[in-house]
Amino acid sequence: MDRWTEQLSEYLDESLPRAEREALDEHLATCAECRETLDELRRVVDRARGLDDRPPSKDLWSGIATRIGSGTAIVSIDRARAPARSTRRLSFSIPQALAAGIALMAVSSGVVWLSLRSPASGQQAADPGRSIDMPAAWHQMDSSVDPVVANLRKTLQVNRAQLNDSTVRILEKNLAIIDSAIADARRALDQDPNNNYLNHHLADVVRRRADLLRRVSTLGVRT
Amino acid sequence: MAASGDATAFERLYRAHVARIHSLARRMIDADEADDVTQDIFVRAWEKLSTFRGEAAFGTWLHRLAVNVILARRKTVGISRQRHDPREDALEGVGSRPVTPDLGVDFEGAMATLPEKAKQVFVLHDVEGYTHEEIATMLDIVPGTSKSQLHHARMALRRHLRD
Repeated sequence: MDRWTEQLSEYLDESLPRAEREALDEHLATCAECRETLDELRRVVDRARGLDDRPPSKDLWSGIATRIGSGTAIVSIDRARAPARSTRRLSFSIPQALAAGIALMAVSSGVVWLSLRSPASGQQAADPGRSIDMPAAWHQMDSSVDPVVANLRKTLQVNRAQLNDSTVRILEKNLAIIDSAIADARRALDQDPNNNYLNHHLADVVRRRADLLRRVSTLGVRT
Repeated sequence: MAASGDATAFERLYRAHVARIHSLARRMIDADEADDVTQDIFVRAWEKLSTFRGEAAFGTWLHRLAVNVILARRKTVGISRQRHDPREDALEGVGSRPVTPDLGVDFEGAMATLPEKAKQVFVLHDVEGYTHEEIATMLDIVPGTSKSQLHHARMALRRHLRD
């Protein structure tokens, strides 16, 4: 490729410096081959921009639903394979969820403590790429989460008779710990409302609480 | 509601965006991996929903996340492939396949034969509209390299569109 050809893409994208563009303009006026190449490159770009998006040939949602722990795929598979083991499955799944809750509580307390220690924590966001406008987004989500959590708690109460007593005790104890951690984070945000890390952390804790409640209440129904 | 862990709401988002995400995956990675990668992207999006700030459109946020997932996967898989398929400069044969009535599909077929880096830059710039600066950051290269790869990809693909 000669020097003129090498510049044709940038010329097409209008990103060539002015002097080089003017020189190439003069060259193009006298070079049919370069004009033809430029036209071909333009067609390539037009074709790329005009490509249509096509959905996958098969539905991928069921695989996604299974992996994110929603839907009925996991339940139906478990029941089809080993219906008599549903109680064992419950005793395996809840400790996992509760362990997550305990870990969440520990991390949450640490984060809140660390965030409040620094007077300038609002300027020390964990991700420097995030701007200081999380509160609006958080409050939007917060208002949509509370009804969800309330409904899940209600479902859990309805189904608690189907869980064994020790499981219920452990579950309620851990939910109380998580609630306490959330309350701590909210208090911290009252003092430092623009702290991105706290905002993201609180959103994450609340989402995890909803996940935990949803999972356990669903298991209650399954058992 | 999807941000609060509502899987039904998230499924609606999946239905609305899967064509674009799957097309991106298909163009940047082998077509036979696109299904798996698309699933990975939506699972990652579910896990990361709490970081979505609602400033940009959800589609924009999801698309950027998808690019990151694809590039991370490409990096992992590409290392082993390059050992036995060193085609980084093999642009000569690109676009030489015959034109078929379905020009869109055939053009994508020609894109698929581009060397890895040239294909990534071409898809990100000419199909998806990212700037060279953004691409340079994503691919950990300098903008000049992105421009050069783009030009070589276009030069290879122009043969495909000749009458």
